[in-house]
Amino acid sequence: MEAFLGGLAILLDPYVMLMVLLGTVLGIFVGALPGISGSTTIALLLPMTISMGPVPAICFLGAIYCAANFGGSITAIMVNAPGDPSASATALEGFKMAEKGQAGLALGMSAISSAIGGIVSIVVLIFAAPLLARAAYSFGPPEYFALALFGLSMCAAIGGDSALKNLMAAALGLLIATVGMDLTTGVERYAFGVMELSDGIGFVPVLIGLFAVGEMLDQATRRFGKPAIIALDAARVPGMAEMRKCWRSIWIGSGIGTFIGALPALGATTAALIGYNETKRWSKHQHEFGHGSIEGVAGPEAANNAAVGGSMVPTLALGIPGSATTAIILAGLIVQGVRPGPHLFTEQPTLLYAVFASMLAANIFYLVMGLTMAKFFARISLIPPAFLWPSVFALSLIGAYGPNQSMGDVWVMLAAGVVGLLFRRAGFSPAPLIMGLVLGGMVEETLKQSLLIFGDDLTGFLHRPIAMTLIVVTLAGLSWPLVARLLRGVRGARA
Amino acid sequence: MIRRFGSSQVSALLVGLVAVAAFAATYGFDPVPDGLPGLGAVEFPRLVCLLLAGMAVLLFLQESPPHDPETAPPIGRDAWMIFAACLAAVPLMATIGMLGTIAVFLVVAGRLWGETRWPLLVGVSLGMTAVIWLVFVKIFRLTLPGGWLFGG
Repeated sequence: MEAFLGGLAILLDPYVMLMVLLGTVLGIFVGALPGISGSTTIALLLPMTISMGPVPAICFLGAIYCAANFGGSITAIMVNAPGDPSASATALEGFKMAEKGQAGLALGMSAISSAIGGIVSIVVLIFAAPLLARAAYSFGPPEYFALALFGLSMCAAIGGDSALKNLMAAALGLLIATVGMDLTTGVERYAFGVMELSDGIGFVPVLIGLFAVGEMLDQATRRFGKPAIIALDAARVPGMAEMRKCWRSIWIGSGIGTFIGALPALGATTAALIGYNETKRWSKHQHEFGHGSIEGVAGPEAANNAAVGGSMVPTLALGIPGSATTAIILAGLIVQGVRPGPHLFTEQPTLLYAVFASMLAANIFYLVMGLTMAKFFARISLIPPAFLWPSVFALSLIGAYGPNQSMGDVWVMLAAGVVGLLFRRAGFSPAPLIMGLVLGGMVEETLKQSLLIFGDDLTGFLHRPIAMTLIVVTLAGLSWPLVARLLRGVRGARA
Repeated sequence: MIRRFGSSQVSALLVGLVAVAAFAATYGFDPVPDGLPGLGAVEFPRLVCLLLAGMAVLLFLQESPPHDPETAPPIGRDAWMIFAACLAAVPLMATIGMLGTIAVFLVVAGRLWGETRWPLLVGVSLGMTAVIWLVFVKIFRLTLPGGWLFGG
């Protein structure tokens, strides 16, 4: 409690509060731009945080993360072009509502359910993260290795065409993470005599290249026209009848979002899609779905924002990213010299609670902004691509160059951009690669430490119940599609 | 030959090639000093390469989805020109610095993207460059490369 009050006190610092406000505005602004997701926004704006201290930087990134999801729903409702992938489920009913002349109501419900989902998940984060961190104190290298493997296996469900492609992207990320000097032996790997590669490939240029430049190059091949926007005077606060109708959807969405978010690798998009399906399943007005159901806006919006707080639980407590966006935030923390994990809760509790408090504040900020400035934010989606995407590239140049003032990083960003384009065209998602890159160091380090503990005997894992359980769950999860196919085949043969 | 393959096979071949090249490159690593216990420097990368190669084989054996123009639209001439402009931007920085390059890039790429109103292009370019200068140089105190023309 003392730490939480300390965190609140930090939040009252005008500079920190300004960063949270700025992060919220930027999050909504960029989240509302079709094609630029929360991950891209954070990757692009990461270099802005370098000259800030750790607290304002993390509060800034946390606020962007909270607000970008809501920003994405504005264009999903107004233009049927989700600004963020997590808002794709919102577009299903939100745009239909807008076509019926209920855009203001859809936006109002989106703002309220998003804020409720976000706040519920942060309350869970405040209570669950310290508990998880306390449990993690009994973790040794074998448990962390198993946990990182579990996180990587969850990449199979992140997105893209197929689970296999996602796992391949994660393995590529692991391979990239091995570039540079091996810390235990001092041997240089894949550096090929290039000095810049000796320190390894930086997170920031790869993130910016894969997400921002890759997306920009991909958009260059599409050249879509200007979207048509639906007229809107203002967002409308839902009345009591509408709130009563949506109450159950909001709670279902909040619960699902928090749970899905807390699982490593799965983030807001998965949460929103499951939230939509479950909202529909439990609704008393199922016939309205597909024709502009307000519950179909409330459920996924609560879910995708609840996933934000949920995904911060493993990120902060264990150092295992809860989603692609938190993988980028994790990279931002590392750039700031902060290494997430259970020790954070004893060493820097005030910093942590400042993050929690700032995320709560961001939810309240975007609720107010969403209800009062929806019309302005909706117009953002009309920025012509001819100005938007070249500006994204300009920001990417600065973003890649900024952290290390290195032209080598700019070349890495360009190369990652090409990889990002190829990934998109081949149906690979860039998010698992980032997970592999972020977790690569941990996987190798903990594997080496585990083998030292076990005297190079892999069966040592059998004597560590937590590690063993995680490995079994990982293997079961990975082999389930194959087992399910075999079972279907057997049933089919019997029939 | 490659035309007979679907997208999954082409992706699998490319990833497989990366895995084989990365595996082969591990033989060029310096030897680990004697007496160090545990895994050396090559085992983990090799393990990842083998995993990657195995998954590439699995992908190769999978049936490719039908070509979807939504996922991979044909790359037109203008798109290639935009790619070239991105590539040219980096060496240009050595000459006219980052802010100069950004200003030029915004005009060139905007034109290639289909915007035909030159005054608007130039106006947006100058405005955006000014905002970037204000935010990153003045507020966040980043030192951006000036190029030999504007400060070497």
